[in-house]
Amino acid sequence: MSINQILPFISTAIMLGFTVYVFQRYFVRRAPHFLFWGIGLAMFGAGSFSEVYLSLAWSRTVFVIWYLFGAILNPAWIGQGTLYLLVRRQWVHLVAGALILASLVSAGLMLSIPIDDQGFHLGTPISQQYKAIIPAASFNLILIPTIIFGTVGLVLLVGGALYSAFLFWRKRVLPNRVVGNVLIAVGALSVATASELTHLGYGQFLYLGELLAAILMFIGFLTAARPQPEEAAKPVPAAAD
Amino acid sequence: MPDDLHAKKKSHMPENSLVYEKVIPVVLILMGVLTIALILFALGILLGVIRL
Repeated sequence: MSINQILPFISTAIMLGFTVYVFQRYFVRRAPHFLFWGIGLAMFGAGSFSEVYLSLAWSRTVFVIWYLFGAILNPAWIGQGTLYLLVRRQWVHLVAGALILASLVSAGLMLSIPIDDQGFHLGTPISQQYKAIIPAASFNLILIPTIIFGTVGLVLLVGGALYSAFLFWRKRVLPNRVVGNVLIAVGALSVATASELTHLGYGQFLYLGELLAAILMFIGFLTAARPQPEEAAKPVPAAAD
Repeated sequence: MPDDLHAKKKSHMPENSLVYEKVIPVVLILMGVLTIALILFALGILLGVIRL
């Protein structure tokens, strides 16, 4: 196995565990932020799995899954989970509705663009050859939702984690949530940076960025969710719980 | 229950900790700067200022 198969394989395995863990919490608590995080993390995992698959064989369907879930949708869905956690207002439901609608439009767009099978070369990471598979005119079209979803996700996920970490740090309480949110932000920034480098043509960093994100975000989530001795007696609702 | 009273029941950060007093604030600021840089980069692509 090459490094281009090992890295996304490990990311997929971590994301699978992370997704199951978050969905378990959703089925116990029924809180919408767990649902959106779980769906977003599952999309992240689908993207990583697609990278493993595309390192072994070509499939147009898997390529669409990779770009749609891995490149376009997952950051905004995870970010929407953070928005649900931090803002308990009715308009958050409208944002969720807009996200679902925009996701369906993006899926329709992705399914309608031409894909050049001849542009695929086995052995080259998909992150370094996707521009050769999607014709330039179509690529410019899907770049718009890619950038918008990615930026919205970045603002909500990283901004939300930094805001939560800052609040707990300022109050000098719950150090586990300060550290947990910092780890989540570092992980999200690592994959966001790798994604933007990929847009610039440096796709070789994407798989490493994804692996760092999977590890740091999962550890951050577990750290933030860990009950403290004083909390065990009476749980306190707070960010990234 | 007021936040400050509620906070007394929560675990607190260690006193005089280098990590919590120095490292965490610097890391938060650096990540904020990087986030803004990434947002500006994305806007640059959307507005056509940065060509891919």
